[in-house]
Amino acid sequence: MSQLYRAATPNKLIQHPLDSMTLIFQKSSGITHIVADPVPAILEVMAEDTVTADAITHRLSAGFDLEESADAADIVLARLVELCSLGLVEQVDGG
Amino acid sequence: MNGLNHLFLTVGPARFRLASSWQEPLDQLASLYKTYPASYDDYADFTVRLEPEKPWRRFVRPSVHISGDYWLPDAAPLPLSQSLLAAEMGMNLQMALGWRRHLLLHASSVEKDGKALLMTGLSGSGKSTLSAMLAEKGWRFMGDEFALLNPDTGMVHSFPRLISLKNEAIAAMQAILPINRFGPMMKGTPKGDIRHIIPPLNAVNRMKETAKPALLLFPRFGYDPVLRDMGKSEVFVRLTQASTNYVALGETGFRALTRFVDTVPTKAMDYQSGEQAEEMIDSLWSKLP
Repeated sequence: MSQLYRAATPNKLIQHPLDSMTLIFQKSSGITHIVADPVPAILEVMAEDTVTADAITHRLSAGFDLEESADAADIVLARLVELCSLGLVEQVDGG
Repeated sequence: MNGLNHLFLTVGPARFRLASSWQEPLDQLASLYKTYPASYDDYADFTVRLEPEKPWRRFVRPSVHISGDYWLPDAAPLPLSQSLLAAEMGMNLQMALGWRRHLLLHASSVEKDGKALLMTGLSGSGKSTLSAMLAEKGWRFMGDEFALLNPDTGMVHSFPRLISLKNEAIAAMQAILPINRFGPMMKGTPKGDIRHIIPPLNAVNRMKETAKPALLLFPRFGYDPVLRDMGKSEVFVRLTQASTNYVALGETGFRALTRFVDTVPTKAMDYQSGEQAEEMIDSLWSKLP
């Protein structure tokens, strides 16, 4: 059964795009994160849903210029692991 | 605080109480800050204490231990001959660690036509010397150490302390300023040779006037003259490093800094002389919207 993920709710984050990077201020910790593509897009397609990595990849390929492939799925999974360690995304049981 | 001598100083929006076991450093400060507004109610935001490291060190090889409301445990004591530096370091430390009303940027600032030029960079970049030099060339000096960014209005507030010159910068400014603008020469301090300048009178008289930030420079002294564009991400990261209270201000600091980075044009500026820097600054300034 695939792992499910959920992003921190948008009202707990302030996203602020700058040139090639995006700032994410996390209100709960007071930490400012600086992230590059595709992290802002991942958070956007996750919205407030509880979703699998495959579902995120599928949404990215539908809404963004990203071809759905094994590589793309690996990239999304790697970013999700990083986002979990930062506390911007959490793993959800029961998927 | 029995047994201590006191002096109250107002610099920009901040009010300090200096308490010292010795009268000499306070007399020195009172003389250098004599044009600054006097305290009318003995209120202070911060207290800086200059006391002997040990009781007998008040008389025997006197050494000044800095303490105050906010302090660093490893602040080394200084000889009494450097007590002015101790007092200035003590005041800076209170601001850096304790001030919450503005976002503090470790930057010098000068103003013209209601607009502020900010200069930030590592020690030795020349930000302090450039601000002192521009202050003699038609700009209003706002501060050589901290620019105070108002999170509500986005305006820069002045914090025109004594200007702290180091090493080669001392001779450069001695060539253009009268001797009565200088504090005592302090040789061999932990920061090298230090000599303070009293800011121009208009900087003190107008220290409550704010300015709209219009240009940010990252000067770098000693390199072939060039102006370089900087990405907003780089500017943002370097300004978080240049701010002593960005983290403490939380969301307020984030919103203030992102607004600043979004709206203030920024350049890295390498230069080899004050005249060269002045030409580059004048040219940039004349092209601002």
